Amino acid sequence: MSPLDSTTPAGPTRQEDVITDPSGAGSLPRPIEIGSRRGQPAAGRQALQDIALRIASIVALLFIWWLLSLIFPPTLIPKPWETFAEVGAIIGAGDLFFEMGNTLRRVGVGFGLAMAVSIPLGIFMGTMRSLESFFEPPVVLGLTMPGLIWAVLAIMFFGLTETSAYAAVAITIMPMLTISLWQGTKSIDKDLIDMSKVFHASPWSKVVDVIMPQLISHILAAIRYGLGLAWKVVVVVEMFGFSNGVGYRVVRGFNTFSMKTVLAWTITFLVVMIVIEFGMIGWLERTVTRWRPRVEAWRR
Amino acid sequence: MAYVRVDQAVKFFPREDGSQMLVLNGVSFETKEHGITCLLGPSGCGKSTLLNVISGLERLDRGQIEFRVSGSNPKLENRNPKLGYVFQDPRLLNWKRVEGNLTFALKGMRIPRAEWERRLGKYLELVGLLEFRQQYPLYLSGGMRQRVGLARGLVIEPEVLLMDEPFSKLDQLTARKLREDALQICARLRQTALLVTHDVEEAAYMGERIVVFSARPAHIIEVVDNPLAPSDRNFDDLHFIQFKKKLLNTVLKLIDQEVRV
Repeated sequence: MSPLDSTTPAGPTRQEDVITDPSGAGSLPRPIEIGSRRGQPAAGRQALQDIALRIASIVALLFIWWLLSLIFPPTLIPKPWETFAEVGAIIGAGDLFFEMGNTLRRVGVGFGLAMAVSIPLGIFMGTMRSLESFFEPPVVLGLTMPGLIWAVLAIMFFGLTETSAYAAVAITIMPMLTISLWQGTKSIDKDLIDMSKVFHASPWSKVVDVIMPQLISHILAAIRYGLGLAWKVVVVVEMFGFSNGVGYRVVRGFNTFSMKTVLAWTITFLVVMIVIEFGMIGWLERTVTRWRPRVEAWRR
Repeated sequence: MAYVRVDQAVKFFPREDGSQMLVLNGVSFETKEHGITCLLGPSGCGKSTLLNVISGLERLDRGQIEFRVSGSNPKLENRNPKLGYVFQDPRLLNWKRVEGNLTFALKGMRIPRAEWERRLGKYLELVGLLEFRQQYPLYLSGGMRQRVGLARGLVIEPEVLLMDEPFSKLDQLTARKLREDALQICARLRQTALLVTHDVEEAAYMGERIVVFSARPAHIIEVVDNPLAPSDRNFDDLHFIQFKKKLLNTVLKLIDQEVRV
């Protein structure tokens, strides 16, 4: 059954193969053909199917939006295309790059600060027991602290300055990044550490050649979650009284009760986030894990 | 090259309940210079522990390890001779290419950078992986990965090469081919080496000298020198089979005695 299943939908020449299959079973070129048929085109088809499903999902969302916009008044739910026209207007006016640039800078600086603290801290906590005990309470406490409260505290402390945005973003994601690195460090392969000792690797080489590469998948996961948190916090900080940034624009839309503006800014923000997440981080992930053969056999 | 002298080595391991377990019970022997010395014994008898002690990963509780060079009057070598290590699992850095795994060892041993290229070429050629130097380990077969491990042990040009059951995780045919190649390489380099194994045939094939260990707590029960030169050993050769049988009988007899005691 299964060879038939996998061959029939592939194309016109396949049908011929299936028909001639019983008679020509023992002929020489067969194994090669079977191999190539099951391998490459099936994988390509799978990729196409994945893309199609993703597009279908987005179309479905837009359709639901459109349905809802028929039921509710446009002040509550504007038509999708009107909202997208607003997005176009935002881009056309040049506002997007200015506001988005401000927001991205705040996320970037805050994120960089958090990484600079969390990566060494997490590695130290994973390798030294005393540091683990000492830093565990603040890290776990920090994890339970809502980002909104950090935003309030930062603004009260630093005032309405860029510093408060950087601080709020950094301190909100720091515990999560630290925990991820800490647990990752604890799970690294001790045999490889022994190996590096036998060959007298320097402490620097141990960190860079042996420990960090084993942490890369933890770091990437932490970057994903961390960015997700950072976006949320930065928008809140901007809403509190900044005079630029995406959060500020959303609040201005709120103050004028313009659902269209709020949604338009939200959508552009989402698109930029998605480009960064899937484009940049996906690229980063592919680059740093080139050494690992792709294994997808267990997935359906 | 140097040779290793192990003198009255005693090592305890702490048990879970806090008591001490005796692992090495006064182990003494000398390795050959220029050639492989096999440490043969049942699994879990403490052979690998001894190798870890020699490599400096663990410390003896009593006794000592000396590295010597032969001569008219055997004198003590420097305290920290260069040691290469080949592990049971190759323990490669999978995120580094084949050559990167070798340069990791070269860098660690502070080998001048100008030397690297010549050595990479020489030792990858010896293990037959020259054309795979740019490959990542996970794209290689198990046998090839073990070859990378062997090349990494050799590339630092160690005074003593330590090998911890390097062929035991490979399938039979791959292991056999790799044993042949490793023996040939060590003979050609006149490499002093210690090979830990529980495989009598492997010991008979690889070892210039075979040191037979008892079960835990380990002591030495016999030291056998191989009557055959490396080039004369052949798995199907009658002399080799006779020697293997003799060695096997020695080991079996000793195990019998152990059981009765």
